[in-house]
Amino acid sequence: MLELLRKYRTPLLAGCLILAALLFYSARLRQRETTNAFEQTALGLTAPVQGGVDIIADGVAGVWSAFLGIFGNSPEVLRLSAENRRLRSELAQLTELRLENERLSRLLAFREEIARQAVPARVIAEDASSWFRTVLIDRGRQDGVREGLPVVVAEGVVGRVIKSAASESRVLLATDASSAIAGLVQRTRARGICRGQGNLLSFDFAMHWEEIEEGDLIVTSGTGGVFPKGLTVGTVSRVSPGGFGLFKTVEVTPSVDFYRLEEVLVLIEEHR
Amino acid sequence: MRRTFVYFILGFVFLVMQTTLLAAMLPLHFKPDLLLILVVYLGLNEGYVRGGALSYLLGCLQDVFAAGYPGLHGLALLCTFLAVRGAAARLNTESSTLLLLLVSAGTLLQAALLLFALGFFAEAGALWVIILKGILPQVLLNLLAASLLLKAATWLQHRFAPRFKLPGLPRAGRHYGS
Repeated sequence: MLELLRKYRTPLLAGCLILAALLFYSARLRQRETTNAFEQTALGLTAPVQGGVDIIADGVAGVWSAFLGIFGNSPEVLRLSAENRRLRSELAQLTELRLENERLSRLLAFREEIARQAVPARVIAEDASSWFRTVLIDRGRQDGVREGLPVVVAEGVVGRVIKSAASESRVLLATDASSAIAGLVQRTRARGICRGQGNLLSFDFAMHWEEIEEGDLIVTSGTGGVFPKGLTVGTVSRVSPGGFGLFKTVEVTPSVDFYRLEEVLVLIEEHR
Repeated sequence: MRRTFVYFILGFVFLVMQTTLLAAMLPLHFKPDLLLILVVYLGLNEGYVRGGALSYLLGCLQDVFAAGYPGLHGLALLCTFLAVRGAAARLNTESSTLLLLLVSAGTLLQAALLLFALGFFAEAGALWVIILKGILPQVLLNLLAASLLLKAATWLQHRFAPRFKLPGLPRAGRHYGS
């Protein structure tokens, strides 16, 4: 027996390691909606670095542009090129400030519209994997952000908080495969569930007799327990009858541009 | 111990790059899986205990910044490491092309493991659709990142530390027959 164990020591060790990892993963699934000490520490330690990398990236981009500008010919060309770069840089900064001002004004107006208290946050990092859709925001427990709270922008629903550390949180986007939002068609009040499909959404469990057309607006129904009623989710972009099935196949284009997500609002008041 | 620490720091840097710089530079949510490349490298150069522990730890760290399932990437990266480690004993590891081949295989294996772990134990939703649509670009992106990392590491070693031997890199360089 001992000889057999010695002979198959490596495969046995590998099997035990995989089994232990699988058991840990399986056991942790129940506490998925909570943030453990390891996650809080890792988020807390990494967020300042991630915020700093953005600033460094901007600096590197500036140095690179300046380096490319050296290849002028005459001093006059060099002077004009330098002036051009400076003016372009100033213009870019002003444009950036104007755009940020516009976005924040829209958020502010939206914040005043909604009845719940909201915390503005900045997106500082994306998901580490290409298969999942989450973002990291720079607000956490210190600001009242907790797991399960809805995250929105003026255009509509962004997602919900799934992990929360002291001053950072992770948000599961509506387009993630594991995201499900209770919604309804604004025009006909047909109910369904908006599930993430990566870049689009699907409106599942809509009965085949319900009247749904392309261009219909999908809003939150308020029955899921997370999102307040009436927030925009997206627009119906394709409807298939679904053959002999009970449900229609409905594809929804999200109203939020998830590729250009910069500032968001976390609704921190208790859901009524 | 120092080498383990260096691997861990490297993994941390890769993770920060994946979530910030590379995520901002590349379109459609695609980013190269630098941690997977590191784990494949560990599989070719490190033993079961050190490599296995590091792969699992790096995977758990990735779980803090990817998906919302603690231990999911830990499991996937551990299995990938063990598969590469097992295969490395039967392959000619004195070839840099092997690393690229194993990165491609590792990407496919990791995707299959994620689907298995989420499909059987949790709610995978339409993850298989997302993976099927994106697996080819992801393999190509990982291959490109692996070849660039390999060239950069070999160049850095030859340029700045010719006497300092990084495990695996001398034999992966072009002077050592690939």
